[in-house]
Amino acid sequence: MTEQIFRETTAEPRTQSLPLAHVSLELGHLYMEDFEDGPDRLREHFARVKPWADAAHQAAAVMSGGRRARVSTCFLIDDYFTQFSSPRELVPLLLGEAKAAGLEIDYLARESACAQADGVALAAAVESRLVESPTEGSDGTRPGVREVGWLSNGQRSPASDAGEAMGRVVPWTPPSEAGARRHSIFVDVELWNEDPRRTWSCPFLAAVWQLARLGLLRHRGNPVLEPRSLRPDQTLPETWSALPPLLRLNDSAAPFAAYRTTSVLPSRFLPIEHAVRVVLSQVEADATALRQVAERATAEGIQVPADIPDRAAYVFYPGP
Amino acid sequence: MAPADSGLQPVLCGEVRTSVLRTSEALTARTAVQLLNLRPDEHVLLSERPNLRVVSPQLLTGVDCRLPAAGGSRPRAVGTVAARAVLTEGRVLQTSAFARLVPSEGSHRRAWGHYLLRPGVVEPLARHQARDVVDGFLAAAPLPGGVLNPGAVAERLLDHVLRHRLLDQRAPFKSGRTRLRWAALPAAEGAGASIERFTVAADGLRTVALRTPVADPAAVAALCEDLALHDWLLTTLLALVERSRLGSGDGEAVLAALRPLVDHLLHLWMPGARVPDGLSGVWETLEKQPGFSRQWQTLVQRIRDQVAVQTAPLSRRVLASS
Repeated sequence: MTEQIFRETTAEPRTQSLPLAHVSLELGHLYMEDFEDGPDRLREHFARVKPWADAAHQAAAVMSGGRRARVSTCFLIDDYFTQFSSPRELVPLLLGEAKAAGLEIDYLARESACAQADGVALAAAVESRLVESPTEGSDGTRPGVREVGWLSNGQRSPASDAGEAMGRVVPWTPPSEAGARRHSIFVDVELWNEDPRRTWSCPFLAAVWQLARLGLLRHRGNPVLEPRSLRPDQTLPETWSALPPLLRLNDSAAPFAAYRTTSVLPSRFLPIEHAVRVVLSQVEADATALRQVAERATAEGIQVPADIPDRAAYVFYPGP
Repeated sequence: MAPADSGLQPVLCGEVRTSVLRTSEALTARTAVQLLNLRPDEHVLLSERPNLRVVSPQLLTGVDCRLPAAGGSRPRAVGTVAARAVLTEGRVLQTSAFARLVPSEGSHRRAWGHYLLRPGVVEPLARHQARDVVDGFLAAAPLPGGVLNPGAVAERLLDHVLRHRLLDQRAPFKSGRTRLRWAALPAAEGAGASIERFTVAADGLRTVALRTPVADPAAVAALCEDLALHDWLLTTLLALVERSRLGSGDGEAVLAALRPLVDHLLHLWMPGARVPDGLSGVWETLEKQPGFSRQWQTLVQRIRDQVAVQTAPLSRRVLASS
């Protein structure tokens, strides 16, 4: 084949590559109810997280094959479902309590950034990348079986009123999990509701958060949710919207995105993270971003699981 | 010599829908990009040489169904069908859905993530004869239910794009949609692409059987989109010329009927414009027999002659009255 002489760059888009840490370690999620319980709650949280954070560092050292492990830490604050306190008041308190427990927070993210950051609608973009797992018999003639705004991990029970309308009672059939091992664990995840404004669900935003931490989000080839530092002359703002969506707090931190993620969370987050896995297992991630991660991993001699949900690890500590 | 058939040969298959864009003015590059922005976070591809061609991001549809088969049993297959929309010169819209059939390593369906990492690949879970699948795919119209149907995916995407609010729903002339179903087996070692047959069935379905050295389904789909575009142009021009009652004597009526063809269609003919070298043999064959461009040029010449003949008395009248 002869070399192509004439090229148009609008016909050949580029996807920018991202620097990657070995592990992105999440030290917590903060909601209003946690904040309302006062600084003691934060102190207790970080005290419980500390041993697991140390373990995550050791695990990262094993993964990096004896070289210095690059671990970046992050913390997520909810400013999407409820807005409370202010960056000026909360951030120093948070950093102080983390430091007292021997932890350093490298990056601070606002939950609303997972819906929209720097003018890019991240959640809507991820939703448009959902490719549902087909049930047997899906030949392309029908659109996906997705109920608008919901995503399941298998096949739902048939709607009960459909049978009655035809004048006969259809016996109930159970829902089933795709690829279940003998018995099903069927999950149906609400992605958003409209009440009257579109509100993304917590698990869906958490899935966007995982994709961002895994370096798999792009907007037309460009990185999104890029970390920014405050300028030296800048103080923490009064409102959350004035804070960068992803704030870099430590200039010498390892990159925000990583080959794998580890999240240390109280056990009540378990159902949310199960829902996150249901979403992640049906996202068609940017193919070039995936390839870039795989190539870097190979060059560094690191193993990265092929399936995206398997790149996320969790520690659920007991407690509220 | 063609390679021996075995279940291990990858088969490419797909279907293309072609329709006029229902809008009074052809879209500019900018509006075309808006129309085909089917995924907000991805680029719409835009190429302006040698003509304006805009291509949407690729969308996936999950399938778990049977493969068509002419004689043997229909193996179950799981994976994703890729689909995209293509707009040429802001006027002709095509949607194209295609898949590469790659034999699976096991006989069980894997976790869904496995298939998402192989966009546009459908994995048969049982052994099959590639030739049998191709023959089954190109023979049966319509395909039976439960059998892989990329045409349905293309059709749904076409309907979706045609409903877009950017379109005023006023097409400049009447025309039909065409359907072209294609399948490609690997070419013999060292051989270029070749076309084994191009059939127009009674119900309008076009079927194309190819042998290609290129394993990239998007490139072969682009070739088939190009074939479908030119087949649609010829079909549409023939139908419109017939309807204009060329040579009936009513000069103004004929002119009124031919005008939209001159405005919107005649400049679109450009066979093989973007077909990669390895696939260009297909066009060479079709130009020899049946000779697509020969038929097109003859029709265009007829239209131009009619326009000249019909406008001559008009201009004489204009000159006389001035």
